Amino acid sequence: MSAILLKMDNLAMRQFALEKASPPGSAEDGTVSSVENNLDPTSDEALLVKVSNSKSKEAFGQLFDRFANKVFAHGMKILRNEQMAKDLVQEAMLTVWQKAPLYNIDKGNVQSWIFTITRNRCFDMLRKQKRQPAVLSADDIWPAGFEEAEALSEAGRGSVEVQISQIEKLVRQLPAAQQAVVEQIHILNRTHEEAAQFLEIPLGTLKSRLRLAMGKLRQSLGTES
Amino acid sequence: MISEAKLHPSTEMLEKFTCGSLLSGLNVAISAHIELCETCRHKTSEIEAKAAIDWLQTNDDQKQNDFSDLALNIVNQPQIEKLREKEAILDQIHMLDHSVRLPKVLAKATSQGLVWKQLGGGINQALMHLDDETQCEFIYMKPGSQTPMHKHQGSETTLVLDGSFNDELGHYQRADFIYRTEKDMHQPRSEEGCLCFSVLDSPLTFTKGLARLLNPFFKYQFRRSAVGRGI
Repeated sequence: MSAILLKMDNLAMRQFALEKASPPGSAEDGTVSSVENNLDPTSDEALLVKVSNSKSKEAFGQLFDRFANKVFAHGMKILRNEQMAKDLVQEAMLTVWQKAPLYNIDKGNVQSWIFTITRNRCFDMLRKQKRQPAVLSADDIWPAGFEEAEALSEAGRGSVEVQISQIEKLVRQLPAAQQAVVEQIHILNRTHEEAAQFLEIPLGTLKSRLRLAMGKLRQSLGTES
Repeated sequence: MISEAKLHPSTEMLEKFTCGSLLSGLNVAISAHIELCETCRHKTSEIEAKAAIDWLQTNDDQKQNDFSDLALNIVNQPQIEKLREKEAILDQIHMLDHSVRLPKVLAKATSQGLVWKQLGGGINQALMHLDDETQCEFIYMKPGSQTPMHKHQGSETTLVLDGSFNDELGHYQRADFIYRTEKDMHQPRSEEGCLCFSVLDSPLTFTKGLARLLNPFFKYQFRRSAVGRGI
């Protein structure tokens, strides 16, 4: 069943890819300023260009009036709290103001741009509300091509050495006490409390041994920042 | 390196991804697939554009609020003049004889480092804690390895990052996005070795032989992982 669905999706996508194959003419020079003159002055795009080029507070005010209540409605739907929905208006529209100079019309219209900003800020607020780990923010999950792609230069890349056999060897080189702690936590997957009880050592001792051991491993693996 | 994926997330899944209504673990798997799959990247931006139109056209009964105090506040803030330098992201996993470049979202998620452990049968696992509802992990299958026959109580999403593996239903390569539901029973094996990112929304159940003894362990492990723990 799902295999058939996936096949159909494939076909639809190929068709879609064909339609997308002919790019618009001015792909190279789609910067905000170069298109300013061709825009309907009342359009969202023209307003955002003004916000970007001349920090126009008036143009921002008009954009704000067009979108603020929509952002609020989205916040009420997802966050279900009037104060948080209002915070979302503040967060999302502040991002619009701050990032206006980064907007590139080639990457989508202003509506889509503000929609994605709203979704991302809302996602981050929801995660905070649920107290979820903050390893990844919405901007990591939905990379908005125009900021992320260019900012990540090849030169800045490093590498993590995570060679499986190497890790095993390194763990075996740890002092016995630290090895036991690593085994409890990372191989047997026990909680700190359970491991401390099993090894009959105070929780504090366990934590400091674990910290030492993980520090050594990271250092040996070159993953220490 | 972009390779042509054969298996993609369904349109419905991409729509949910676009609206942000999936669990974090799944969001990450789809985000990583999209980086590797141009077709889905285009499709997602189309869905995004459509979602934006729907969003603006929805008539909500909400009263129109006056937020002009917020607007005044905002325009007194400085704007971003140019892109700030991104901090270096570690984005490669070195396997036994070669390196694998990770999609950005996974590179960011693993920036704290990974702890691998052996599950037996040539299978290695590195758990990550991305949300409280899913178990996310990297799975590395050594060349010639095979997992015990198992089925899923919930769903299992697997993104192939390097190498390939087979099961009863097909052969999967880099960038393939495989979604399995509770009905599917399978026994993956890999000839050439394989690195995957996988997201489970409930524990596996092994169905054959000695591996069944592992079931309590897997449930236990899932609970642990779901409860969450810091390194």
